[in-house]
Amino acid sequence: MITTDGLALATHGLKKRYGSRVALAGLDLTVPSGVVYGFLGPNGAGKTTTMRLLTGLIHPDGGTIELLGRPFGRRDRRRLFEVGALIESPAFYPYLSGRANLAALAASGAPTPRKRVEAVLELVGLRDRGGDKVANYSLGMKQRLGIAGALLNDPKLLLLDEPANGLDPAGIVAMRDTLRNLASAGKTVFISSHLLGEVSQLADVIGIIAAGKLVREGPIERLLSGEGRVRVRVAAEEVAGAVSALAPFGLAVRVDRSDKGRAGEPATEGGWLEVPIEPSRAAEVNRTLAAAGIYASGLESGSDLESLFLELTAAEPAVGSEGQIQALPGDWQ
Amino acid sequence: MRLFISTLSKLRGRLATWLTLGLLILLLTLIYLAVGATAKQAAAQPNGRAVLELLTFPGAYALILSFILGLGGLFVMAYAAAIAGSEWQWGTLKTSVARGESRSRYMLTTYAGIAALAAIGLLIAFAIGVIVTFLAAKLAGVSTDGITDTAIFGNLPEQFGRGWLGLIEVGAIGFTIATLARSQLAGVGAGIGIYFAESFAGLFLPDFIKYFPFNAATAIIATNSNAGGGRALARLDPNTALIVVLIWLVGSLVVTAVFTERAEISG
Repeated sequence: MITTDGLALATHGLKKRYGSRVALAGLDLTVPSGVVYGFLGPNGAGKTTTMRLLTGLIHPDGGTIELLGRPFGRRDRRRLFEVGALIESPAFYPYLSGRANLAALAASGAPTPRKRVEAVLELVGLRDRGGDKVANYSLGMKQRLGIAGALLNDPKLLLLDEPANGLDPAGIVAMRDTLRNLASAGKTVFISSHLLGEVSQLADVIGIIAAGKLVREGPIERLLSGEGRVRVRVAAEEVAGAVSALAPFGLAVRVDRSDKGRAGEPATEGGWLEVPIEPSRAAEVNRTLAAAGIYASGLESGSDLESLFLELTAAEPAVGSEGQIQALPGDWQ
Repeated sequence: MRLFISTLSKLRGRLATWLTLGLLILLLTLIYLAVGATAKQAAAQPNGRAVLELLTFPGAYALILSFILGLGGLFVMAYAAAIAGSEWQWGTLKTSVARGESRSRYMLTTYAGIAALAAIGLLIAFAIGVIVTFLAAKLAGVSTDGITDTAIFGNLPEQFGRGWLGLIEVGAIGFTIATLARSQLAGVGAGIGIYFAESFAGLFLPDFIKYFPFNAATAIIATNSNAGGGRALARLDPNTALIVVLIWLVGSLVVTAVFTERAEISG
């Protein structure tokens, strides 16, 4: 098997099926070392299935996985000694304290010195509450404890499934700082999420999955600029003229700000028009409109993660994706 | 070893551990004291002399063990099922597997912890059982001279060993059912169901049912009486019962290990 140097994680044609339902249809991930990688996708896209496969909880029907540059299969559980993971919700014994839970976790898998328990409790801000029973923890505290558990073996690769779940704003900021510091120290952080705002603040590289396939992957800045659009706002009566004037740039489409998911629909009303060209050509668009006697009342260039995400995932059916996605951004403002 | 010690520590902190032992001791105490209080009247009934055998040392030692095996076996089965089921339901198995822990080693070590606690529980319940039987014998006016019969003490370690195997065999059945069902409730329910189904079916198919887990477990200790809750119908001889118990025990744990290794862990 060919291994890929310089990658913390890679999958090749990863497939998984649950009965007749295809969860992953040939997933190819490439996660460089020392970055924060945001793994995005609507609900049901295959994110959690991927996380389970990466931690050996389930086994692929096809394809391969490489963890830290080496193949990872059924018999390679020790490869996980260098991986920390928080999959889905944090799982603990409710009748034990947070500290006792971490001590119990430290006794399984990777050999872990007991002093790491105090270190990670300190890191996630739970040292003072470490003696309390987990049953009495809030959702956010359980989440912090889950992150502490994932950090217990000082992993080279950290896999976190929705790490911001239940955290308050201060907790989110602290988590973000912790994860950035880990990446700065050369560790790789792989975050599965559908919370675009958080990922856009945290990730260096993103991968977007829809219907079990990777639809885009790369450094976040490059993706957003490369996927750029130029948007102009014109008066309703000037829409037809603007569309005609901008035709040489490609089909200008209307963007309804209240429903970005409908991008791609031909322009018919006033408002924002989106032109599919590089952001660096924004002035050219403005100049063209002015030459046609149309003056834009607004001009934007580049893309944002939400637009990119919706564009890439809109065509892929995913259970409840629309409602979930549209409800989320407000949570993170 | 660190996993085993950790497992013991986890089980020690669990309410169900103390509840199971406490309930067994409570029922043992109540039943023996009730027998002691009513033994004189019972003895006057036809076949009532068997009741007095419960309180007469040194034969009472084996009967106490047999009692613990019968009722305690049911409790250990439910307890083991609860422990195994919670590992799946709470996701704690998942967390350890994601850390690179061997699935089968984790589950088998968890069961080893249960087996260790069963040994401790057996000793405690037996010690309390002896005290309670002594008090019940006094209540009934039965002689307790045989309590210091040194001949029986030489045999006790073997009886303890057999009793412990009987307990952990039925425990392993509960543990395996809960693992297969990935559920505490299913494991406990199925365990109780098997206990009563065996008792009932034993009336009709005694020569077949005597090889089943609870029947084999209670037959593993040699007693001269059926007064201690042992089944009056067909019963394996203790040595055959020992072999049958070992087959059930090892078979159950193999099923647990294989299933856990192959399982898709989600949720």
